Amino acid sequence: MASIAFKNVTKRFGDTTAVDNVSFEIADNEFFCFFGPPLSGKSTLLRLLLGLEVPDSGEIYIDGKAVTTLQASQRNIAMVFQNLALFPHMTALDNIRFPLVERKMSETHIRQKVEDVSAKLHIEHILHKLPAHLSGGERQRVAIARALVRDPVAYLMDDPISALDARLREETRVELKRIQRDAGKTLVYVTHDQEEAMSIADRMAILENGKIRQIGTPIDIYDRPVSKYVAGMLGSPAINFFQLDDTQASGIRLAGEGLIQLDAREVPANAVQVGLRPENLAIRPDGGAGDVATARISSVEPLGGFTVVTVAPQQSKSQTVYRALLRGQHQMEVGTEVTLGYQPDQLISFDQNGLAIG
Amino acid sequence: MTDASGATAMSKSISDTKGRQRLASADQRRLGFYLTLPTQILVLFIAVFPLLMQLYISMTDWTPLSGLNWTRAYELWAGFANYRDLFDDDRFFGALWRTFLIIIIAVPIEFLLGLAIAMLFMEEFPAKKVFYSALLVPMMIVPAVAGYMFFLLFQSDGPINQLLSLFTGSKVAISWLSDPDLALAVVIMADIWQWTPLMFLILLAGLLGVPNDQLKAATLLGASPWQRFVTIVLPKIKTIMIIAVAIRTIELFKIFDTLYIMTAGGPGVATETISVFIYKITTLELVWGYVAALALLILVTLSIVAALGMYLLQRNKSRASA
Amino acid sequence: MSEIRLEKLTKRFGDFTAIEKMDLQVRNGEFLALLGPSGCGKSTTMNIIAGMESPSEGTVYFGDRDVTRVPMGKRGVGFVFQNYAIFTHMTVRQNLEYGLRMHGLPAAQRKRKVDEIAGFLELSPLLDKPTAGLSVNILQRIAIGRSAVLEPAIFLLDEPLSNVDAAFRSVMRYELKQLQRRFRQTMVYVTHDQLEAMTMADRIAVMDQGVLQQVGTPLEVYNNPANIFVANFIGSPGMNLLKGALTSRDGRPAIAFEELDQTIELPDELARLAEKRNSAAVLYGFRPEEIELTSQNGLSMKADFLERIGARTILHLEASGREVKAVFDNNVAVQLDSMVSFRPASGSERLFDAQTGARIG
Repeated sequence: MASIAFKNVTKRFGDTTAVDNVSFEIADNEFFCFFGPPLSGKSTLLRLLLGLEVPDSGEIYIDGKAVTTLQASQRNIAMVFQNLALFPHMTALDNIRFPLVERKMSETHIRQKVEDVSAKLHIEHILHKLPAHLSGGERQRVAIARALVRDPVAYLMDDPISALDARLREETRVELKRIQRDAGKTLVYVTHDQEEAMSIADRMAILENGKIRQIGTPIDIYDRPVSKYVAGMLGSPAINFFQLDDTQASGIRLAGEGLIQLDAREVPANAVQVGLRPENLAIRPDGGAGDVATARISSVEPLGGFTVVTVAPQQSKSQTVYRALLRGQHQMEVGTEVTLGYQPDQLISFDQNGLAIG
Repeated sequence: MTDASGATAMSKSISDTKGRQRLASADQRRLGFYLTLPTQILVLFIAVFPLLMQLYISMTDWTPLSGLNWTRAYELWAGFANYRDLFDDDRFFGALWRTFLIIIIAVPIEFLLGLAIAMLFMEEFPAKKVFYSALLVPMMIVPAVAGYMFFLLFQSDGPINQLLSLFTGSKVAISWLSDPDLALAVVIMADIWQWTPLMFLILLAGLLGVPNDQLKAATLLGASPWQRFVTIVLPKIKTIMIIAVAIRTIELFKIFDTLYIMTAGGPGVATETISVFIYKITTLELVWGYVAALALLILVTLSIVAALGMYLLQRNKSRASA
Repeated sequence: MSEIRLEKLTKRFGDFTAIEKMDLQVRNGEFLALLGPSGCGKSTTMNIIAGMESPSEGTVYFGDRDVTRVPMGKRGVGFVFQNYAIFTHMTVRQNLEYGLRMHGLPAAQRKRKVDEIAGFLELSPLLDKPTAGLSVNILQRIAIGRSAVLEPAIFLLDEPLSNVDAAFRSVMRYELKQLQRRFRQTMVYVTHDQLEAMTMADRIAVMDQGVLQQVGTPLEVYNNPANIFVANFIGSPGMNLLKGALTSRDGRPAIAFEELDQTIELPDELARLAEKRNSAAVLYGFRPEEIELTSQNGLSMKADFLERIGARTILHLEASGREVKAVFDNNVAVQLDSMVSFRPASGSERLFDAQTGARIG
């Protein structure tokens, strides 16, 4: 049973359509992620779900019940704020108890609830501490425990770790994933960082201008994007797009200069562009087989375990460059001429509307 | 102390409202109109009624001594006589001139002094907080009390003369408040003493709003402190400067309490400003029709000045954002 | 003369030591990244080089010239602020010509220079636009152009990409690097992001708690980190570090991991270096990217979960509360919650002193 469902939900602010005829279902205990650029409607979706906005049309269901017109306080959905909003003068225990005490629940009931949730999130040993004495990860757990203690259907997080620095983000997202696994609750999560989205989400929705462009598991979307837009949103470095030579539909044009010959069977007849992920773009220092184009290396970026090589088509006047992600460490000189290669099955074809074919 | 400049806060709120207006649908706008209608009528009544009454009275020679209720003032109809008299009234023009004199001397001094102190406060120096608090004290004092303080200070056997005697070695007995020129100077001094802190406070807020990074960037690009002030600071605090000057100008136009306690407008009419003049003719001479005409004239004049100021501000802003 | 040399640089704020006796040389024309977590002293170092702060002790040289007491306006360094510090009340052109105007250059020359730099930075169509509302990558180019037009030999950049959307970052990294290639200035780039430092810098200076930890090329610091801080900070994820003790197994040198109750063989040269020390306690380090799945002579841990991030898959392995991360291509087949046997690729193992954290070999 889906714990959350949107059916044809639209929300307009004046002339702007923030959420445009959106439908999706989130399963129980799922880690669901909304991902999109700024102003793509991610936060409005969260606000609609929370009950802070009323949709202009469409229905919202929580636990099978229509809640479209219910107010935030009647929806039983919890929100964990980016700054966590823990009360600094209260111990972790008092912070977690707070929502229940506010609801005037009986002491035995409160104790039972707090015990359950603390055991689940493995924070029994830190309950006596003040927030200031907790590590970042522990604070995160306490804030989530406080959200979960009143048994919400789901809890929401709006870009909770974007303010942290790179290393801390990597560690915290793993911690969040663990917490969600321990908590066993539906988590709806908003982020603008593709790596974060792919790392933590069970399933994700990619948004553009208030519309959901694709829903699926991260790896599924990564491998089988429905459009150029979606293909470009995931992956770092971003996917390479090659213009097909329109006169023969049998070659990949490198910015009008070099040409990669393609077997016509590889690419559907209506394809005008093909995409190739950087990890699938091969770079060979020698002249390879006949089906390759030459390019010049314009930058080599060592990442340690990987190397990003940027190549520019020769004699090209345009600024187009292509990136390859190579496993391991490679010594290459900027300016060297190289040949490019790929495996036919790694190409993703797009028609003139930017939609994926096949 | 606020760290945001009033100007940026203001422009932000303006753009916010614009955004919201654009988003609000026509229905919502109509609803908003109906909801605010009662209040708007009330406000209109409160503002418009006294104005109309004033206009009416100003066209008559009505005074409370006439034994008529104000509603029957038409029996003493005078037409535009009161307005004509105004333009022949030397005492009125004298008061107007003195008011302007006080403004054009006091406001620039307060402005420059306030700016200088504010710039000083952008640097670190020992006991800054103590100076800061001390500087704000004059502003907190009730104007009437400040007037009394200056009244005492400038008595002919008061502390100022005693101090001067100490320095010059001979007995000084200047009658500050009985000398027409000196009395005006003392009035101006008192105002500078009391209101420079406000200027300082507003301008400091403006200076604190100038992004530090941009100042550093200018320095790194080779700007001298003076160039930095002219090219970065001045353009960024121009709006707030205009606001500060406007506030003090309007306030000074109404100067009354401090001055009245010190000199009561005297000696003679040497320190009689517009407010003192109105007060006197209202309470002593009771020519209320004349007063009404005078008050209306001032209102119209000030409105024109204010509108001009607003126009300049707006032009400034639209130029900055264009 | 655009070499930068810091000698015994120390900066204290009250009781707090922001930089401790730092020696650093930035070569002529080099792109050096000053890398470290927030609060490590990297920005303070940069501010001292720019002259915005003065050191408590130590000397700053540009070439042979001691500039320690030279005020910031007179050092002639280009500086790009984290938020770009664009003069928002001016047009793009007014921003670009600001420095030239302050130096009293005549209008004709100003125009020629500004047009030239604007052409190079592709800002020409925007020259007469106000700066409000321009996108960050344009603002960044204005900030660079504003300094570059004065042709400084030294360019300092303070986390210029930290306000940029993740998606744009790789593009802007590339642009920045191309710029430096053409201008050939000495560049010092402050960042907390090891990825930025790795991808752009000729050399990286890693700092932590006010102390310079290591200076080297990106691959030097990645392959041979001087200590556990650098080992963990460089790389995404950082190096795996397991507490162990030198021992022997079947007459061959090995490391015993008490917590895991497992042992792994140690290459002879590493063992020789390690045996010279008094203590047997070491930290065994290996890169997540250099892990082979093999049942022979390896370690065994439970597959806790997978992060599939496009081209990479990070496998989180766990045993007795210890974690090891392994990075694979996106086609790795691992059953979650099953035991996984693995071994660091031969030659990629590193040993660190358990007390000092310094690398042994």
